[in-house]
Amino acid sequence: MKKKKSGIGGFFKEFGEAVVKGDLFVKLSLVWMGAGYIRRKQIIKGILMTLLEVAVIVFTFGFATEYVRDFGTLGTVQQETVFNIVTMQNEFNDYDNSFMILLFSVVSFVIWFTFLVIWLKNEVTVYRLQKKAQAGEHINTFVEDLQQFKNDKFYITLLALPVMGVVIFTIVPLLILIAVAFTNYDQGHMPPSALFTWVGFTNFKNLLSSGGMTITFGYAFRKILIWTLVWALFATFTTYLGGILLSLLINNKRTKLPKLWRTLFIVTIAVPQFVSLLLVRNFFANNGIMNTICANAGITQWLRDIGAISTSYIPFLSAPGWAHVMIILINIWIGVPYQMLIATGVLMNIPSDQLESAKIDGATPLQSFIHITMPYMLFVTGPSLVTDFVKNINNFNVIYLLTQGVYTTTNQAMANSQAKEVDLLITWLFNLTQSYYNYKMASTIGIIVFILCAVFTLIAFSRFLKGDREEAFR
Amino acid sequence: MKRFIKTLLHNLLLAFLAFIWLVPIVWLVVTSFSAYTGMNTSTFFPKEWSLVNYKNLLFSADSVAQFPNWFKNTFIIACVVCVISTAFVLMVAYATSCMRFPARKPLMNAAVIVNLFPGVLSMIAVYFILKTLNLTNTHLGLILVYSAGSGLGYLIAKGFFDTIPNSLREAAYLDGASEATIFWKVVIPMSRPIIVYTVISSFLSPWMDFVYAKLLLNSGISSQWTVAIGLYNMLDKSLINTYFGQFCAGGVLVSIPISVLFVIMQKFYVEGITGGAVKG
Repeated sequence: MKKKKSGIGGFFKEFGEAVVKGDLFVKLSLVWMGAGYIRRKQIIKGILMTLLEVAVIVFTFGFATEYVRDFGTLGTVQQETVFNIVTMQNEFNDYDNSFMILLFSVVSFVIWFTFLVIWLKNEVTVYRLQKKAQAGEHINTFVEDLQQFKNDKFYITLLALPVMGVVIFTIVPLLILIAVAFTNYDQGHMPPSALFTWVGFTNFKNLLSSGGMTITFGYAFRKILIWTLVWALFATFTTYLGGILLSLLINNKRTKLPKLWRTLFIVTIAVPQFVSLLLVRNFFANNGIMNTICANAGITQWLRDIGAISTSYIPFLSAPGWAHVMIILINIWIGVPYQMLIATGVLMNIPSDQLESAKIDGATPLQSFIHITMPYMLFVTGPSLVTDFVKNINNFNVIYLLTQGVYTTTNQAMANSQAKEVDLLITWLFNLTQSYYNYKMASTIGIIVFILCAVFTLIAFSRFLKGDREEAFR
Repeated sequence: MKRFIKTLLHNLLLAFLAFIWLVPIVWLVVTSFSAYTGMNTSTFFPKEWSLVNYKNLLFSADSVAQFPNWFKNTFIIACVVCVISTAFVLMVAYATSCMRFPARKPLMNAAVIVNLFPGVLSMIAVYFILKTLNLTNTHLGLILVYSAGSGLGYLIAKGFFDTIPNSLREAAYLDGASEATIFWKVVIPMSRPIIVYTVISSFLSPWMDFVYAKLLLNSGISSQWTVAIGLYNMLDKSLINTYFGQFCAGGVLVSIPISVLFVIMQKFYVEGITGGAVKG
């Protein structure tokens, strides 16, 4: 391990060298993974490796092939009821379940890939053992090998479980859903009673094309995409600016009891969102308290007179336009205290000499805000601004909790694609799966959302995070 | 004099803003003390005050409102998730911050990419996987979902570990300490702020989460729900007129412990965020 070979290329070079220059047992390790260890008297390690190999082989032939075999077609045998003469009952035939085929195939691929990596590593390790033995160096006993996991290889001990968790509960599901985007898995093709199959890029075409008379997904997609971007832009910048202004206001010398004010604002975000948002939604309901107040104050009548509304109430959250504005306003209510917290922390570190010299030079508070405070804030919080933008593209809670069950669309074309004007891509995706079982379109939208987020993040990373500043403070 | 007026106006502006920000919260509290169980739409303050909503919520559970059960469920889930997530986050943060190994950079980049996928997307497949394992409608399933991916949220803790000087660990290393000993005896004791932050934030996530609970505990057995879906269900169109008062009472009861924890956490949150941002 003394000279480190860098990267994947170096690794494969060493692997090749191991295959060519290894002795008989190293070569044998390609087939029987434990061979090399046993030759070097690392009996326990050899047995463990052999057991692992046997387990994978048993998994492959006892379980995986049954599903992976059908991966190309996702199943061909439709579920049917057959009369069984022996039991004298109607029974299902030996049908294929497309989703199970997909799920277990993906799981198998992940397991095989992991095994492949272990297998390659194994060969290299065995070869290194051979070189050590030839040089007459000490070869670790099993206990010493285990000790390694507390020292040089401690990172493996630390990362094993978290990485496994991420692989099982994040990566495998993502792979499955990426695959589903290329199938016709929807309400008409629901396993186990029906099969679904690969359809290539059809879903993407339906989503991105302007479409004919029947396909309205393209129309809804464009409308929702625009609203998602508008929403993310407004939600990010209003709360960001609002947060900075509020924190400047609170940290101003004139403020009495700044801690009290800060706590008052924090209380609003300390209440869980499902409570505060559901509450606000009823506060602004068509027959809610805000409408009563507005009616009593004559605002409703006035709005009717100028023709802004045609209903007897103000449709705060139930009509397009109104709802869009209200959602952004309510988000300011939710988001500003958060940003205020962050801004307060950052502003405490602002070099005060700059502000003071600006003051002496006769700069107005506004000037020093624009020329000193804001550039400093942007420098420090720039990256988090982009993450906030991406988070807002995926801001499920605000939209779902405020509009689900309250807002119903009147636009037939939107309704045909199970969308609402106030939906974000992410809530649309959720509703497509939850209420309409349209998994293929939901997955397609999910991939689009990913591409969207990835593009913004890449731009941001290349702009803000040039160079590696990780070691700067060490 | 002019200065006094300026100060007064300044504070009045703050008071006005605080008023706007607190209106819904005040409404939540006063409505929870209303004698009327439905939504009061004619006046802001209830006409009659009473504790009936709290009494119903806590002592007379029915098929819809099972608040004590929900609270217990969420508390148990939160405790388990808290332990697992904190361990995962600290482990990943230490490995990526304090150790150098070939797969480090690729792993960190992979984490960035995985984080870009909307959580809602993988959720659907997670649901099917749990269904195959027969874990839907169980709290174990929910715990797995909350804690399995928590390692991805390591960045704040890593930013904190990055500020711990290398020399400290090297000194311990020269004294013959193993990497594991350094983790336990050197780094962890120094990281109280970030541990408190991680513990509280992972404890809070099951209380705050709504989507996963709704997706996984969908059997309709209300005694198994968490607080979030329970309260959400109370606002169903057919139930809201009977249960809105109880919803508010429940909201108040949940918010009090969460607010306290949140206020403690935010102190460390700011430290973590700003520390991470300045130090990159």
